[in-house]
Amino acid sequence: MSLKVLSVDDSKTIRMIVRKAFSPFDCVLTEAENGIEGLACAAKERPDLIILDITMPIMNGIEMLSKLRGEPQLSAIPVIMLTAESGKDKVMEILKLGVKNYIVKPFKGEQLIEKAQTMVKLEPKVGEGTQKSGGHSKWFALENQIQRLTVPDKVDRVTLIEIEGAFHARMKEMLNSGVNRLILDLSRVKEINVALIKLLISVIRSCQSSNIKMRIVGNPSLDKDLKELKETSEVPIDSSLEDARAAL
Amino acid sequence: MKDIARLDIPAYCQKSVTEVFATMLSMDAERFDVGSEDDLEGERVVGSVSFVGAIMGTVSIHMAADFARMATAAMLGMDYDDVQAKEEVHDVVGELSNMVGGNLKSRFCDDGFPCSLSLPSITTGSHFRIKCRDLTRHDRFGFHCQEHTVIVEVFLKEGSC
Repeated sequence: MSLKVLSVDDSKTIRMIVRKAFSPFDCVLTEAENGIEGLACAAKERPDLIILDITMPIMNGIEMLSKLRGEPQLSAIPVIMLTAESGKDKVMEILKLGVKNYIVKPFKGEQLIEKAQTMVKLEPKVGEGTQKSGGHSKWFALENQIQRLTVPDKVDRVTLIEIEGAFHARMKEMLNSGVNRLILDLSRVKEINVALIKLLISVIRSCQSSNIKMRIVGNPSLDKDLKELKETSEVPIDSSLEDARAAL
Repeated sequence: MKDIARLDIPAYCQKSVTEVFATMLSMDAERFDVGSEDDLEGERVVGSVSFVGAIMGTVSIHMAADFARMATAAMLGMDYDDVQAKEEVHDVVGELSNMVGGNLKSRFCDDGFPCSLSLPSITTGSHFRIKCRDLTRHDRFGFHCQEHTVIVEVFLKEGSC
């Protein structure tokens, strides 16, 4: 059964970031714009986890949490609070309400997932991007202990979310099985856009933080473009898969 | 003795803006000195939040409409051309100002100026200046971000509580 997550935030932007962060996992996400709506959703949906912003109109997160804690049927629901304020007074206020899990904005979706995983069990979504059985998705291939991620010709917002989710799930499998080399195959890419750059940065940072050796395969014009970007300039770029494999 | 003149607003702003832009937009923001008459040209979007308490005032983030759209695309993982709705842009600029303002508010509280933070507000238009009457301290900074300029203004005075 899918995990139920309730996101309560007046900012559509933050709700979208939360939605994106949970998208690789088997979750049903419900959204509310303020504390009153959040309480109503919590009573109706009985979520397994609530992501709750503090500063909201009509009823703020602190008030909503107090009321939630006062309802016997809802009081045990784990809550992660989001706040733009990291001052001692605000932290004390949150801790007094019994919330040990809070995230200070700005934050990345990965931080939210890390925190959520300490409170609930998140299962990867079963779909074309990720398979629970450990099988390879359409973007991944494991050859001679080298993981290959083949990026499609155009990466849009939806594809970015799908690939990122599948990649993070695959990274865990790689680390568990001792695979520490990756080829990011961009040879099919026809267009460099924001979504692709975000994907590249995400993959590069994940590899750097997990000590995974990586190389990029791309055509000469891509090579030139990537060298101009700070984040991608230091990753070796090869013109063919064979060259990349040999270099790894 | 608490004195708002001793608050290190330049350092607070620099840390806050660079951190927020790097984390939420994956963009580097480099601070530079901006003159009092230097301003953004053309249509712009301004996100502001206010402080009320032992310190009163406001922090505003000014960005060209074009850059605001770019920031929206970056924050929401969209292509620039896919950002069509002004509401999305306003929500992103409001959230950025909320994060920068929240960070400043936390520093003020830790420095002995407890205060509350307002919800963000958005102003759009061209050729306008924001002035706050009776506020005794005014700081103004420029940030270079992907060949665009972002201006951050802070107006403050000591509050009564």
